[in-house]
Amino acid sequence: MSTPNSPSMLQALSPSDSGELEQRRVLFAEIDASCRLPVLLLFVSGLTWLLIGTVLAILASWKMHNPGFLADWAWLTFGRVRPAHLNAMVYGFASESAIGISLWLMCRLCRVPLLYQWIIMLAAVFWNLGVLIGVAGILAGDSTGIEWLEIPSYASPILFFSYALIGVWGIITFRFRRQPHLYVSQWYLFAALFWFPWLYSAANIMLVLAPVRGTVQAAVNWWFAHNVLGLWFTPIGLAAIYYFIPKVIGRPIHSYYLSMLGFWSLALFYNWNGMHHLVGGPMPAWLITVSIVASVMMTIPVVTVAINHHLTMAGHFRKMKYSPTLRFMVFGGMSYTVASLTGVLMALRSVSEVTHFTHNTIGHAHVGMYAFFTMVVFGSVYYIVPRLTRREWPSAGLISLHFWAAALGMFLYITALSVGGVFEGLAMDNPDIPFLDVVKGTLPYLRIRTGAAFLLAIGHTAFLINFVWILARLWRPYRQATPMIIAATQPESGPIKP
Amino acid sequence: MIILWLIFIGSLVLLPGTALLALRWAVRRGEFHNLQKAALSIFDEEEPVGLVTDHFPGMEIPDANRRAPRDP
Amino acid sequence: MNYGPLLFLGVFLTLASSWCGLVLIPQLQLWKSGGLEAVKLEKTGEFYPPMRSGLAEHGREVYRANGCIYCHSQQVRPKGFGGDFLRNWGQRRSVGRDYLRDKPVMLGTMRTGPDLTNISLRQPSASWHMLHLYNPQITSPGSIMPPFRFLFETRKIRRMRSPDALDLKPPFAPPPGYEVVPKPEAQLLVDYLLSLRAVTPLPETE
Repeated sequence: MSTPNSPSMLQALSPSDSGELEQRRVLFAEIDASCRLPVLLLFVSGLTWLLIGTVLAILASWKMHNPGFLADWAWLTFGRVRPAHLNAMVYGFASESAIGISLWLMCRLCRVPLLYQWIIMLAAVFWNLGVLIGVAGILAGDSTGIEWLEIPSYASPILFFSYALIGVWGIITFRFRRQPHLYVSQWYLFAALFWFPWLYSAANIMLVLAPVRGTVQAAVNWWFAHNVLGLWFTPIGLAAIYYFIPKVIGRPIHSYYLSMLGFWSLALFYNWNGMHHLVGGPMPAWLITVSIVASVMMTIPVVTVAINHHLTMAGHFRKMKYSPTLRFMVFGGMSYTVASLTGVLMALRSVSEVTHFTHNTIGHAHVGMYAFFTMVVFGSVYYIVPRLTRREWPSAGLISLHFWAAALGMFLYITALSVGGVFEGLAMDNPDIPFLDVVKGTLPYLRIRTGAAFLLAIGHTAFLINFVWILARLWRPYRQATPMIIAATQPESGPIKP
Repeated sequence: MIILWLIFIGSLVLLPGTALLALRWAVRRGEFHNLQKAALSIFDEEEPVGLVTDHFPGMEIPDANRRAPRDP
Repeated sequence: MNYGPLLFLGVFLTLASSWCGLVLIPQLQLWKSGGLEAVKLEKTGEFYPPMRSGLAEHGREVYRANGCIYCHSQQVRPKGFGGDFLRNWGQRRSVGRDYLRDKPVMLGTMRTGPDLTNISLRQPSASWHMLHLYNPQITSPGSIMPPFRFLFETRKIRRMRSPDALDLKPPFAPPPGYEVVPKPEAQLLVDYLLSLRAVTPLPETE
C-alpha cells in the first residue's frame, strides 16, 4: 500500500493524460462509463444470487411446517438449505451488491473514474466462484458448522483474495480522490472496506484454519457474525442513505455535526455488541455484560442518524411518491432505526431470556438484513443502473410492484416472527407446556412467514424482469433519454466543458 | 498472569491514549471546522442544490426545481 | 474531517479495541485461569471433559454436516434463567470447560427443537434415536423435525432380517419383504447423541 504514494504510480494509474484531468472536474458521465462493466457485473451476479437465495429461502420456510417435504435427499435437508440460503444471500447477493454500490459511490464522491476495471471484473468472477463453491459445499455437507461462516475452508480463501483485490482498489480510489472534502458516506465506505477483511480473515483463522479452544470460539464467532452486519453491511447501507437522500431531493444533509457523531459512535460501540448473542451461555459474565452495555449505547448512533435523516427529509416526504430510490431509501432508513432499537431491547438479559433461541431472532435478523440493507440496495440499484446503462427503467409499474411486494412481505414476515417468537419464548420458559405444544404453537406464524416469502419472491421477480429488460435495451440504439438521466449526465459524445 | 495484566493495561492506556492525542491534533488542525461546507460537497454546477435527480420513468415531479434538458 | 490518515487511525483503533476486548482478553483470561485445560476430578481420578469415542467423534461430523445446530442448542442456561432447569434439560448450567474438546463448538442459537446438552440422559435408547431420526412422527407425533430417511436404506430382506433393522409398525413400515437398516452415518450420529451429557460437578459449577 505504500507504492501508490509515489507520483510515478499515480501517473501509471491514471486512465488518460493526468494533466488534462487535473485541470477540469471529472464529469459524472465519465465516472459512470468507467464503472459500467464492473458494477453491472456485480449487480447482475448479485441479483442471480438473490434469486437462488429466494428459492432456498422458500424451501427452508416450507420445510419448517411441512417437515416431510423433499426430505429424501441429503443435500436438500433443512439443516443444509438454511445455511445455503444465508450464505447465498450474505456473501452472494448482499456482499456483491454492497461492493458494486461502494465502488460506484466511492468513485463518484472521490471524483475519479474507476481505474483498471478488469481487475474488479476478475475479482467479481472469482468472488462468484468462491460463493458458488461455498454454497455447493454447504449443500454437499461440508459446512464448517459455524454460523455465518459456513463456507468450507476450500472456498473461503477464494473469497478473501478476491475481496482483497476489490478492497485495495476501493482504497486506492480513495487515495486518489480529487474532491478535497470527505463526505460522510466516504467515511462509512472507507471504514467498511477496511473492517471486513479484518473480520473475515481473523474469524476464518481463529475458527476454521487454526481453531482456538473451547468457548472462545463462540466469542470469536459472534464477534464476527454480529460485525458482518454491523461493520460491513450497516456502514455501506448508511453510506448509501447519506448520499442518496440528499442527492435525490437536492438538499444537503440536515446536520453534518450529527452525522459525524453518528459515525464515530457507531464505530466505537457497534463492534462490541456481538456477545449479546450468548446471554445465559457458558461465557464469562463480564464479557456478556460489556456487550449488553455496548448494545444499549448503540441508541446514540441510531437516534442521531434517525434524527438527521428525518430532518433532512422533513418537508420532502411527498417526493417519495415520485422517486423509487427515495422510497426504498426512506423505508430502509426507518427499518434501520427499528432494527437497532429492537436490537437494544433484545440484548437486555430479561428480554433475551424470552426471545433468545426463538424465531423472534430470525425476524430481527431480517429487519436488519432485508428491511434495512436489502431495501437500500434496491434503492441504490434503481438509481445507479440507469446512469450506467444510460437507459431508463422500462416499467414504472414493475418498480411499484417490487416496492409494495417487498414492503408488505417484510411487514408480514417481521410481524409474524416477532410476535410468534415472543409467544414461543414465553411458552418455552413455562415448563407446564409440553415442548411439542410449544412447537405446534409456532406453526401459524411459520405459515405466514412462507406467505411473506412468496410475496418477497414476487417483488424479486418484478425486479428481475425490469433488470433484464433494461439490459436488453442496451442493444437498442441510444435515444434521447427522459429528463432524469439528462439532468444527471451529459450526452455520450463530447463532454461539455465547464 | 503478569503478561495478561501487561497486555490488558497496555491496551487500556495505549488505545484510548492514541485516540485522544489524534483527536486533539485533529481539532487543532481544524478538521472539525466549517462542517457544513462538506455537506455541500455532493452538489456542484453539474447537479446543484435543489435539483431533484430521481423519479419514476415517465413521471414528472410537480414542484421540482428542474433544469431544462440540455441539447446534445 | 477531510484527512484520510486520521480516518484510518480512528477506524483501526475502534475495531482493535473490540478485537482485544472480546477476542484476545477472554482467550488470555481462560488460558491463564486454566479454563482451557481438562481437569482431574478428585472423586474418580478421571479427566473432564472425557475424550469422545472415535465413533461419536465421527457422528459429530454428521451432526455438523446436516445442520442440526440450526434447530438444537447445546447449552444449559443457569438455574432460574429461562426454563432450562425446569424442563430438565440439565442439572447444572453449562460451563466453558464442557466444550474443550469440541471443534467447532456448537452452542446453537435456536431451539426449534429441544436442547441436546444432556440428550443421552433423557433418551438413553439407541433404538429410540434410530426411529426418531428415520421419522420423528413415530416417536414424537406433531414434531416439525425433518425425517432423515437418507441416513437409512430400505432393502429387500435376504435370507433373514438384519439385526439392525428398525422395528417399524404400520403406517411407517416398509413394504412386505423389505427392511429399513441404518447406514453407517446414522449409527455414528446416534453414537454421538448418546455421548452428549454434561452433568459432572465441576469446581466452577458449585
